[in-house]
Amino acid sequence: MRWLLRRCCFYVFALWVAVTLNFLLPRLMPGDPAGGMLARMSSAQIASNPGIIETYRRMLGGGDQSLLEAYFSYLGQIGRLDFGISTSNYPTNVSEVIGRTLPYSIFLVGVAFILAFVIGTTIGMVAAWRRGGTVDNVVVPTMLALGAFPAFFTSLVAVYFFGLKLGWFPLQHAYDTELTPGFNYAFLESAFRHAQLPIIVITLAFAGGWVLNMRTVMINTIEEDYVAMAEAKGLPDRRVMTRYAGRNAILPPLNGFAAQFAGAVGGLVFIEFVFSYPGAGFTLQQAALGSDYPLTQGLLLVFAVCVIVANFVMDLLNVVLDPRVRTA
Amino acid sequence: MQPIGADEAAPSAVPLTVQQVPTARRRRLPGLPLWLRLLLSNPKSRMGLMIVFGMFAVGVLAPWLATHDPTAYSLLDAKQSPSWNHFFGTTDQGTDIWSQVVWGTRNSLFLGFAAATLATVLAATLGILAAYCGGWVDDLINFATNVFLVIPTIPLLIVTSSYLKSRGSLSMVLILGLTLWAFEARILRAQALTLRNRDFILAARVAGEPTWRIVVYELMPNMISRIAAAFVLVFYISLLTAAGLQFLGLGDMNSQSWGVTLYWAQVNSAVLQGEWWPFLFPGVALALTVLGLVLILAGLDEVSNPRLRKPPKQGRGMISGLFLGHGRAK
Repeated sequence: MRWLLRRCCFYVFALWVAVTLNFLLPRLMPGDPAGGMLARMSSAQIASNPGIIETYRRMLGGGDQSLLEAYFSYLGQIGRLDFGISTSNYPTNVSEVIGRTLPYSIFLVGVAFILAFVIGTTIGMVAAWRRGGTVDNVVVPTMLALGAFPAFFTSLVAVYFFGLKLGWFPLQHAYDTELTPGFNYAFLESAFRHAQLPIIVITLAFAGGWVLNMRTVMINTIEEDYVAMAEAKGLPDRRVMTRYAGRNAILPPLNGFAAQFAGAVGGLVFIEFVFSYPGAGFTLQQAALGSDYPLTQGLLLVFAVCVIVANFVMDLLNVVLDPRVRTA
Repeated sequence: MQPIGADEAAPSAVPLTVQQVPTARRRRLPGLPLWLRLLLSNPKSRMGLMIVFGMFAVGVLAPWLATHDPTAYSLLDAKQSPSWNHFFGTTDQGTDIWSQVVWGTRNSLFLGFAAATLATVLAATLGILAAYCGGWVDDLINFATNVFLVIPTIPLLIVTSSYLKSRGSLSMVLILGLTLWAFEARILRAQALTLRNRDFILAARVAGEPTWRIVVYELMPNMISRIAAAFVLVFYISLLTAAGLQFLGLGDMNSQSWGVTLYWAQVNSAVLQGEWWPFLFPGVALALTVLGLVLILAGLDEVSNPRLRKPPKQGRGMISGLFLGHGRAK
């Protein structure tokens, strides 16, 4: 319990660092981001939003406030989840844009990441259990090679072959553009069909890491005495592999989850860009190119929160899987 | 422990790797440094080294290998598939992709190498300092590292580079190096921790050597192989990250690099028009380099961890000669 509490404190602190980075970055950079943004807006837009100059000054710096003063008013604004107005989606609020795009990304990365984890660790486990077998000699090198390729390159090749040449999957977007998003069969079916190829690509890109981690740890675990003991007792082969060696070997790779998930969130940006998939990653890229700073700030914070939440879930899972953590 | 006797323990700390060199190999490749002989004797890292050195050679020879000016627009030559005149075809604007990839090799490798060097210097300094000093220094550095690991790198880089007025090589190296150090610092800290309580370090401390001297002359020489492995890992990641940023249109877009060529292929929707050459060639160049680095890493792992090698039963006969540690008990 104390361990979980300490983790919570750490996550709150990490969140605070992310917010502070958001605050400091535009102020540390040469030039005046807020001035640049206001210069791009028409005078009519500024006139119709009385507080907008002040809002941007507060978010991006350049006003006449002192740094400390500006920091506290910034924290207050973030606390109210007010990120300002997205200039590239004028006059929509940043929080509204995020609310619209984030579900697509969570769906994509959530499904793909769980698939990658399950498939990767299973292959790694089997490969280590039967060293030099078919899985170890054929499947593992293939997965590693696929994982080593940059995700955006794999997805470009996949779009070309499976989308364009073979016509198995739709090429772009998250659903047929004639449909309006909503809870009906036509939309869900279309969304599912469009998500297939991105999910396959992300899964293949990230399964390789799990395979390698799991295989390495499993090879060492197999030589433990309790595995030999289980075999000597005459337990079925599969039960020894999963319940004795596998269950213990899975813990170290799980602890690498943080880095893996942060990586997956990054890879998502590239894959959404390739597929023009209207998720948070594609939106971030568009916002960054279009210097829509309120939106990029909001999205960076959202990504950080997603990684933190995923880490926390993994901590909870660790408590369930590893009894030693509970007593510590 | 007696200070006088302990003092003599320090020089006897020989790196473990020396014992692993099979004598037959050592005789066949004279004149090469030990680490290179070791890497060349492992089939994976030998392959990887060949690929990576090949790519570096392309980068160095870029002015002689390029057949066209990589920026020369020519709408008459636009959208050509590969031919003898344009080895890798041309883009929608009629620029020569072969020349772009060749020049891009030089810039991409330089950017990745420089960023990896910066990240490694930071990571090695912080990681070793944390492990050696312990106490609040360790807590602080470890905490900062963990915080950095939780903030997703790619979005952070995207946001940072969107604030940059000009995205020249120097600023890209800086922001890449400053974001990629964290996981490397974690690896190196863990490895420095295992060395920290070895006898030769204790001996040096008892002998009264100052901290900086212990770190630089006692710890560093024994960490060098681990730092090199971590460097290869970061090199591979910074290559991918830099190319990825350029692919998103957020790198140094005025220079030639693999990512920039890929960005224009994506912006011109080359894939949707059925043009495979604008994205295939720069992508393969990047993937090949990355594969080479991954192979070097895999070889390094096998050299230092005998358990990961193929079980001896499998390799006996014609392949067995290729593997290190053959005929030696595990």
